[in-house]
Amino acid sequence: MKNLQELEEVLPNTYFIQVNGKRLLATKSKYPPFYGERKYGEYREWIPTRSKLSAAIIKGLRPKIKEDTKILYLGAASGTTVSHLSDIVEEGVIYAVEYSAKPFVKFLELAKERRNIVPLLEDARKPENYSGIVEKVDFIYQDIAQRDQIDIFIKNAEFFLKKGGIGIIMVKARSIDSTLEPEKIFKNVEKELKRKFDLLSKIDIQSYHKDHVCFYLRWRG
Amino acid sequence: MKYNLWCGEYDGKLKLSKDFAKSFAKAKNPSPVPEEAFEEAKEKVKNYYEVLRRVAIEVTERKVERELRREDRYVIMLVKALDELNEAINLLEEKYRDLVEVKTSEISEEFEERIRGLKELRRRIEREIDEVMGKIAPNLTEILGAKIAARLLERAGSMEKLAILPASTIQIIGAEKSLFKALTRIRKGKKAKIPKHGIIFQHPFIRSLPKRKRGKMARFMAGKLAIAAKLDYFSGELKEELAEEVRRKYEELARA
Ligand SMILES: C[S@@+](CC[C@H](N)C(=O)[O-])C[C@H]1O[C@@H](n2cnc3c(N)ncnc32)[C@H](O)[C@@H]1O
Repeated sequence: MKNLQELEEVLPNTYFIQVNGKRLLATKSKYPPFYGERKYGEYREWIPTRSKLSAAIIKGLRPKIKEDTKILYLGAASGTTVSHLSDIVEEGVIYAVEYSAKPFVKFLELAKERRNIVPLLEDARKPENYSGIVEKVDFIYQDIAQRDQIDIFIKNAEFFLKKGGIGIIMVKARSIDSTLEPEKIFKNVEKELKRKFDLLSKIDIQSYHKDHVCFYLRWRG
Repeated sequence: MKYNLWCGEYDGKLKLSKDFAKSFAKAKNPSPVPEEAFEEAKEKVKNYYEVLRRVAIEVTERKVERELRREDRYVIMLVKALDELNEAINLLEEKYRDLVEVKTSEISEEFEERIRGLKELRRRIEREIDEVMGKIAPNLTEILGAKIAARLLERAGSMEKLAILPASTIQIIGAEKSLFKALTRIRKGKKAKIPKHGIIFQHPFIRSLPKRKRGKMARFMAGKLAIAAKLDYFSGELKEELAEEVRRKYEELARA
């Protein structure tokens, strides 16, 4: 491609590229587009308005993910974000939990195409139900808009996260409490998380996803 | 301590199962499984990740299919049960009041206890409706709230039917009785008002507006609901803009 330039590698297989004068986040991928994103050469653009993780990376998040990282992903939906993580952890594995059957129909297409995705139609509130499937992981990612999302996150970390492992949780203020000010909710959430995790960074992604903040954490175990 | 792994049972030693699909579906444990169990599994199952992935896809595909067939009927049953339950509670409360007016006794106490039990059941059914609606109809639920969205679904009969209804029908669904009355009157050459709102009229965004603005709000909302129902049925992903647009329209109408 003529007007394509790699600018900066931010994670394995993950780059800022320049296309026709525009700067984009993208993952290098052997696979075709999956959710309507465009492909430039071997790069799949990673759209920040569609994926909160893309938004967080654009806003400066640099999570410690390697080619062989093992991930537990909670709230996989139809696989927009998982499709990019699958490009990134080429030698790793992604255990993807989602409890709604509908979006998982499309997700299964992705799981069949890729080699590093294990789909699990389960309720993330009940890690005991998939405890004999998911091994200890290096990284837990959670994006589920539920009132009890923090409890769910901690419960899963207790079951599956290696000591010193990392966690990312996308917190949606309005789903925790629609009556309080978002800032107040984020404060409370931070306090709750800090009881079990070290807070590595907190990234505001509200310019891409209304009401959302990304917490990047390390599990004290 | 014995643990259930997707590929077998572990009690210090792993015994592989003969049918991975079966053991996969039963891989539940009350507490975390020790790492050694997985280490041993990786030694004993050749091409561990490849096999695990294949079994997971196979089991999940079957599960998805089963769920899709079942969940909307489940909500519909819950809504119907809720209506009956409400009636029963009202009736019993009435009897209870009559009773204690005459005399309190062990019987009246038992009455009270039963009513409390039924109310608890009602709360649980409502929570279950919330939960399932969030799963099978996230967009409708975001706009209407689970309760009203579930009623809409109950009237339509299934998510499939709801997904193909035009906005004009969604707007009056649940008002069939009064619509029917009006039509019969018109047929007889009498004057009648065609009802403008059905179930969605219960929503505060319509109900709290002055009468003359309600039709406009209901029309707008029904249009968005028609889109939401299609999204829910065909993709299942939440698009927050929809509910946002409805809210903005309401605020606009409430202000003007
Ligand atoms: C905002 S979407 C996730 C989008 C996805 N992370 C992405 O970026 O591609 C949230 C998802 O979490 C799921 N979810 C909510 N509660 C859940 C639970 N208790 N267990 C599993 N999944 C849940 C919802 O069904 C929904 O698909």
